[in-house]
Order: sequence, then C-alpha cells, then structure tokens
Amino acid sequence: MNPRPEPTAPSTDSSTRMRLVRAALGWRAPAVVSVAAPPVVKRRRLPLVLLVLLGLLGCDRGSNATVLWHAYNGAERDALVASAARWNAEHPDRPLELVAVPYGAFADKLTSAIPGGNGPDLFIYPQDRIGDWADSGVIEPLEYWVDDARADRFSDEAVAAMAYRGSLWGLPIAVKSLALYYRTDLVANPPRTTDELVSITPGKHGYAVAYANVDLYGHAPWLFGFGGKILDEDGRIAIATPEAAAAMTFARSLVAKGLAPDHAEGPLVATLFNEGKAATAISGPWFQSDIAAGVPWKVTTLPLVSATGKFASPFLGAEGILMSARAHDKDTAFAVMDALTSDVAAIERAKLARQVVPNVHAFDDPAIAGDPTLRAFRDQLAHTAPMPKGAAMRMVWTPYKTALGEVVAGRAEPGPQLLAVEREVTSYLVPERK
Amino acid sequence: MSTVVRQLRDFSVGAALCILIASAAFVGVRNRELATRQRSLADRAAAEIAEGRTLPDVRAVIVGPATPSPKRPYLKSRQISDGAGWRPLTATAAGASPDDKLFYDAATRYERETSARSPVRRDGAELDDDATILLPDGSGRALAVRPIANGLAMALTPPARPAPYPFLVLIGVLGLGAAFAAAGALVGGRAARLGTTAGIAALAIPCVLWGSWIAAALIALVGLGLAFAQGANLTDRFAAGVRGHKTALGFLAPAAVSMLVLVLAPFVIGLVLGFYDHHHGTWSFVGLHNFGEILSGGGRALDDPLNFWFIFGVTVLWTLANVAFHVTIGVALALVLSRSWLRGKGVWRMLFIVPWAVPNYITALIWKGMFTGEYGAINSVLHVFGLDGVSWFSSWATAFSANVITNTWLGFPFMMVVAIGALESIPKELYEAASVDGASGWQRFRHITLPHLRPALGPAVTLGSIWTFNMFNVIFLVSGGQPGGSTNTLVVDAYRWAFERGERYGMAAAYGTIIFLILLLWTVFGSRIVRSKGAES
Repeated sequence: MNPRPEPTAPSTDSSTRMRLVRAALGWRAPAVVSVAAPPVVKRRRLPLVLLVLLGLLGCDRGSNATVLWHAYNGAERDALVASAARWNAEHPDRPLELVAVPYGAFADKLTSAIPGGNGPDLFIYPQDRIGDWADSGVIEPLEYWVDDARADRFSDEAVAAMAYRGSLWGLPIAVKSLALYYRTDLVANPPRTTDELVSITPGKHGYAVAYANVDLYGHAPWLFGFGGKILDEDGRIAIATPEAAAAMTFARSLVAKGLAPDHAEGPLVATLFNEGKAATAISGPWFQSDIAAGVPWKVTTLPLVSATGKFASPFLGAEGILMSARAHDKDTAFAVMDALTSDVAAIERAKLARQVVPNVHAFDDPAIAGDPTLRAFRDQLAHTAPMPKGAAMRMVWTPYKTALGEVVAGRAEPGPQLLAVEREVTSYLVPERK
Repeated sequence: MSTVVRQLRDFSVGAALCILIASAAFVGVRNRELATRQRSLADRAAAEIAEGRTLPDVRAVIVGPATPSPKRPYLKSRQISDGAGWRPLTATAAGASPDDKLFYDAATRYERETSARSPVRRDGAELDDDATILLPDGSGRALAVRPIANGLAMALTPPARPAPYPFLVLIGVLGLGAAFAAAGALVGGRAARLGTTAGIAALAIPCVLWGSWIAAALIALVGLGLAFAQGANLTDRFAAGVRGHKTALGFLAPAAVSMLVLVLAPFVIGLVLGFYDHHHGTWSFVGLHNFGEILSGGGRALDDPLNFWFIFGVTVLWTLANVAFHVTIGVALALVLSRSWLRGKGVWRMLFIVPWAVPNYITALIWKGMFTGEYGAINSVLHVFGLDGVSWFSSWATAFSANVITNTWLGFPFMMVVAIGALESIPKELYEAASVDGASGWQRFRHITLPHLRPALGPAVTLGSIWTFNMFNVIFLVSGGQPGGSTNTLVVDAYRWAFERGERYGMAAAYGTIIFLILLLWTVFGSRIVRSKGAES
C-alpha cells in the first residue's frame, strides 16, 4: 500500500485518506481540526513522516553495512572513497560505509567503544597501537584468513609491521618513513654519507640540514644508524647504550656547529627549507605539501652514517586496516580489507594520493615506477627500523624528547640523560601490584 | 488521605528502590550461573573429545599443532579434525565452518598464553585457569581448550540465553509486601511501621533464594529506614513538600537530571577509579595504592619533576603568579576605564575583552608560535632592539614565564570586567566626602575603592584561582612541560598518567581526586579568609 498523498488540489477523498493514514500512524487529531485546517498544511506533514520512516529503514539497512573509520583528508580520502565506491558497486548486498573521524580522537574512541560492542568493523590506523589493542582484545587476529600467498602481495617490512606476538593484526595500506629532501639549487649531488652532509655550507645564515631534532621520531635515523635501540631482541627496554649516546652526541654536534637548527619542529623545518636557509630537510611524504611552489627539490634516501658504516634508518610507520574484535560480520569485513589493500586499490591510492603503498606489484605500474619521489620512499624502506608495537614504546616518546632537548641544547650529557629515560620508562612499566 | 493510602504510598516508594536492587542482583546471579553452566559444559565436552567421545549439541574438534611459515613465522597453518578426518584449518579450505576461526584463534591464544615467556593475556573475554572462555560476543557460548597428545581438544557449546526476568515472582512478592503494609496500617500505631518493614522485607525473599545476601541485606535496610522515616513523620513531610512545590520541582527536574548524569555520575566514577589499577584493558582493585604512590613521590627525589610535591609546588606558584597578574592588571585597567575623562570607553572595553573571547587553545597556540626560538615574533622584536633572542623553553624560568605571560593575557579581562562592575557600584558621594576631608588620591583608593572592590573580587579570585589551578591548555600547548617536564602542573601530569604512561587511568583518577580535595580545601578556607578580611575592612 502506498500512503503517498495526492499531489493535486485538495479534495474530500484525499483528506479522508489522509485522516485514515494519520490515524494509522497514531496521530489522533480531532476530526474537527482535520476538517477546519487547510488541507495543504495538513498534507505537508505526511511526506515528513514518510521521510522519517524511510530514514529509519535506511538506518536499518545501514546496520548491515561494514563500517570503516579513517582519518584521511584530501587526496587520500578521495582515493579511499574511490576504492569504497568500487566495492559497493561490486557488492551492493554488502555495502561499505566510510566514516571520517578526527585523528586526535581516533584512538581513544576506539579503545572505549569496541570493548562495549560499539565502534566500527574496520579502521585505518598506524601500527604503533597494535600492541596495546591486541593485548586488550580490541582487534581481531587475521592469520586464519591470510597465508603466504596473500601476504606476498606486500613488502616484507610492511606486513611484518602488522605482526605482534605471533599473530597478524592488520593488512598494510600505506608505509611512511623519513627520507632526505634536498634543494637542487643549493645541493648539486645529495649527500650519501654523514661526512658529506656536514660538509654542506649553504650560505652565511643557512643550515646543512633541518629536521625535528628534539623528537625521537626525527632523531631515529641517527639512533639506529649509530646502532642504538629502544627495545632489545627480547622486547626489553634498552635505551641507555653507548650507541644511543653516540647518536645524541652527533645530533648535538650538528646544532653546536650551526649545521642544524636547535629545537626545530615541522613548521620551522618547512620554513627554513622553503626560504633556502636549509639545504636539506629530513621529513616524510607529508612534507611535499609544505614545500612552496617554485622551490626546486628532490627526495632521496638518507645517508650512510660515516662513523658506523650503517645507513641512517628512520622508523617505519605502516598504516594498516585493522578489524575490530566485535565486527559484526568478520568474513565480510576481511573481504573488504582484502579489496582495499589489493594491487588495484593500491595503484589507485598511489596515483591519486601519491601514497607510498606497500604493494610490491604497484611499482610495476609505469606511472608509479617513474615517480622519483615514490621510488625514493620505496627505496628508503630497505633501511628502516620497525616501530616497536608494545605498550612500552608509547611511554618512551615524552621522556626521550625531554632528554634530547637537554642534550641538543648542551645542558646535559647523553649518558646520564639516557639512563634517566630508561629509569623513567621502566618505572612506568613495573606494575604497582606487587 | 486515609492511613492505608499513605502507607501504600510510602511502601511503593521503598518498593521501587528495592525492585531496582533485586533486579541488579538477579542480573548478576543469572549471568554468573549462565557462565558457570556453559563453561562446565564446555569443560566436560573437551574432556570427552580428548577421550574420543562427544557430547550431544556441543561441537568438539581436535586442532593440530601449528606449522609456522618459514618466511613469516606469525602466519601459521593448522589442521582440524571434527570426526570426518583431518582437513586444513583455513578460511579457503573446503568444508570450512563458520566456527573454524574461533578454533584457530583459541589454539593460537592457548599456545601464546601457556608459553613460558608470555604473560597471561585477557583478550577481552573472561579466561579461567583451565583456558575456558565465555565468548565476548554476547552469544553465551563457551569454548574450552585441553592439550592432548596430537594437538588441542576443543569444545564449543551451543548459544545459551540467560534466564528470563522473573516478572511473576516480583509481582507476587510486591502483592505480598503491599498486603503486609496495608494490614499494618489497618491495625495502626507501631504495627503500621512493622507492616512497612515486613512488606519491604518480603521483597528480599527472591534475593535470598538466589543467594544474593548483600542485596537482601540492602533491601532489609531500606525497610528499616522507611519505617524509621515514617516514625519521624519524614515521609508525610516529604510528600507534602512535593505536593506544595510541584511546579517548581517540575522546572528543576531537567537541570537536576542533567547534573546527575553529566556531573555527579562522572565525579563518582572518577572517585571510584582512583582505587583501581588499569592494565591492558583489565581493572584491578588496589585500594589506596595509587594515592600512596602519588603522595610519596613514587620514590623520586623532591627536585625530580616527576615527584608529586615538585609538581604541586609548580602548580601553586603558577596559580599565585597568574592570579596576582590577573588582579593587578584587571583592576588597573578597570580604574583607567572608569575615569570620566577617557574617550571611547566602549571601544577600549571591547578591545580588552578580546583575549577572553578567543578560545584559549587558539590563543595558546598563537603564543607558542610567538615564543619560538628562531623565528618567533617575540625574539624578532628583541632582535630589532639589538637584544639576543631568548630560548624560551630551554630553562625553567623562561618556560614558566612564557606560560604565565600567555595565561595572563587570557585571564586579566575577567578580573577587569568584575572590577569595572564593582567600581560603578561605589557611591560617588563617598569620594566627594573624602575630597572635602582632604583625602589624597592614594587614600581614596586605599580606604574607599579597595574595600568596595573586595566583596566582588573575593569570589572572582577564588574562581580564577580554581580555573588557573586546573588550566590544562596553556601549559600543555605552550611549554608542553619543557624543560624536562618541570613546568607540568597537576592536571597536565594527570593527563600524562592517563595517555602517555601506559593508560594508567587509576593513577590519573587518583590525581583528579587529590586535585579536587586541594581545591575543596582552598574554596572553604580561601573564601573564609577573603570574608574575614572583608569584615575587618
């Protein structure tokens, strides 16, 4: 039965029918009001009711959809939307619904929503919280669905970044690491070693390199290039090592010699690079959007640490699609993950959003293989350090930043500062329940 | 109103509370019973399959040992036997069942948790010593795992629903209770109160049958309390009060409910969480341990920026410095703006209120940018005057100053507005009389203006000090605790316990309670000090 009212002029029939419909909907307006009120005014309410009912039906249909939360913006979001549209066209009975959630609120929302049976079925997040979420049962292990044949689609580093305590917890969708940007007008040949890096003299007030030097993420290339660690092979805290102290000493010497700015952070690095006051900058793929138009630049892999003969190795950050442990249809959710991380979707993201994708065969595509920036970040993957995924890692950032600030500013020595960091982090790790 | 009706009115109020208690007890008991029953069934079925036998309706399988991939050890292949021979346990294998993933994950989890090097993991589900879990999907299914010679014996029970809500039982005891209460009222005197107690106590009968003694005791206490209230005539007075102020209560109800949900509930939850420790998603009761760890400084030296007393000292200094600047600048500007000779007062007032109108985190971020060492506006100005730039966040004094400068910018308009209002209420005759008596400008300020400002500024200072004490945005965004965490205040440190030090929510909640107690003391005694000063003057 179609309860839609007649769109023509008011008539006795239509008003009678509307009264019946209203009665059926539970509207018990007195008959006298129905007769006295202008029929046009009355009729306007019915489409509203129908709209609400349709909305409710729509909500009901939406409950069968696989919901994916992401924090992508701009081109990355557009590329994801394109992949989702393809899935929805191919699987109209199992729709995929994308929900954009601000990055700042993302982790806390998930941590509180999923254990209560709420939240998304899938979400995109960097791998650094996998340890916490796996330990507290927020995310679903995937190795039941994933075998070597499927994992071969990705680079070994990227898929390993999604593993934790003997299980696989996500499929990688993008990889992010630092690399070396250089201004081609100031540096003819990019430095291949740290000795070459420190020999750059870009004018009177310029710096050889600008990078976030009081942040562990920015300092990581030197830390691992000098052979330092955060955790040892058994997962224990191993911060205070002579190698880590050497890396800090090197970072301090860059500032002391005027080769790198003190306390640099993202915006300052971009400003210095754009104004030609830094010949090189160490940053990630996101830095491309900060480079001003007209600045001649290229990107390459980070140099070899001359003192150790090892490559400067930044953290490897891999973004993955993770599945909620409370996903309502896990087989479908995995099928969506599989589709969104397929080579076709990866090529789409690389082309539309210039994402550095972990799919090995994406680089067989001539357009991607011929992109020197994507290629440089792809090559850098071979010299990266996987970001530790345990809860300990999240406690390291702030104390390490404090120590770097003190050492780089020349107020403290690396050895005692690293010991203090190790003591502080260990004190948080020791459970107070004795 | 007849005695019986009054008695039933009181009984219905008490009964409503008791039904809530009984319902909570019932839900707890039936969930525990369901879990015990299902686990026991899974345990028995796992033991049976280990012996080669099966139980009806329970899916029992044997999962073979894992064979890790040589290339990626975290990808493991397994075999499963469910009576029809062995087959691969993967999503793509022929004959795969929807429950197969549960068996695969249970095997991985069991091996991980029994591994000597791995700590026990909770995995969102309840896990007992025998590795039997109640699945956290709300289906009521239990899964048991037992090691056997050729792998792991597993049993998965069918779904189970908890017992239905016992409406009939509760209606029955409600009727019985109402009869007791009415009978008591008919007899009158002490028997009425006895009837109330007995009527309410009847509602404890189901709780006793369920073995929920705490709920039964609570209900008995409600009965005794209600009888006492009747004896003291409190129930009649309360009912008369409600009848007399029906409209007022109707208007108050939405605000009261909002306060209950938005203020009281989080506050109580925060207080309770302070007695718990949070670790990997599980909470454990630790009593006063969190408070002890905080107040003892956690074994750190007094000059360690992580010691509570160091942070407390910084917070007190931060509050004093800010409130002093807010009051001084606010009152000074108010005095200037209240001068009769000043032109364009409205424009000036609007300009001075702008810092207050801008959201404080935006202001904080702008000041953070201005304090940046290399290209910050402040150092650029210093360079113009031939001075060296200051590395603002390198030393405690400069970082603390940067925070105070930012918060002073944010806070003085409030004091200015309060002072302007107070100044306008001072009668002009007082100044005229003082002038006639030959009082100087300073004397007029000291003996007329200041005493009249105090009643308005007192509450404003109390409020301002609480806001400043709890200011998070400025410290977190401007200095970020630099250098070395030494400019952190208590609320910032509480945040760091919750979100940067392994989600120690219990510690953060304990911090919150301590901050609350400090501010409570300050509000009680601080306002007394202000009042007594006002009285003296």
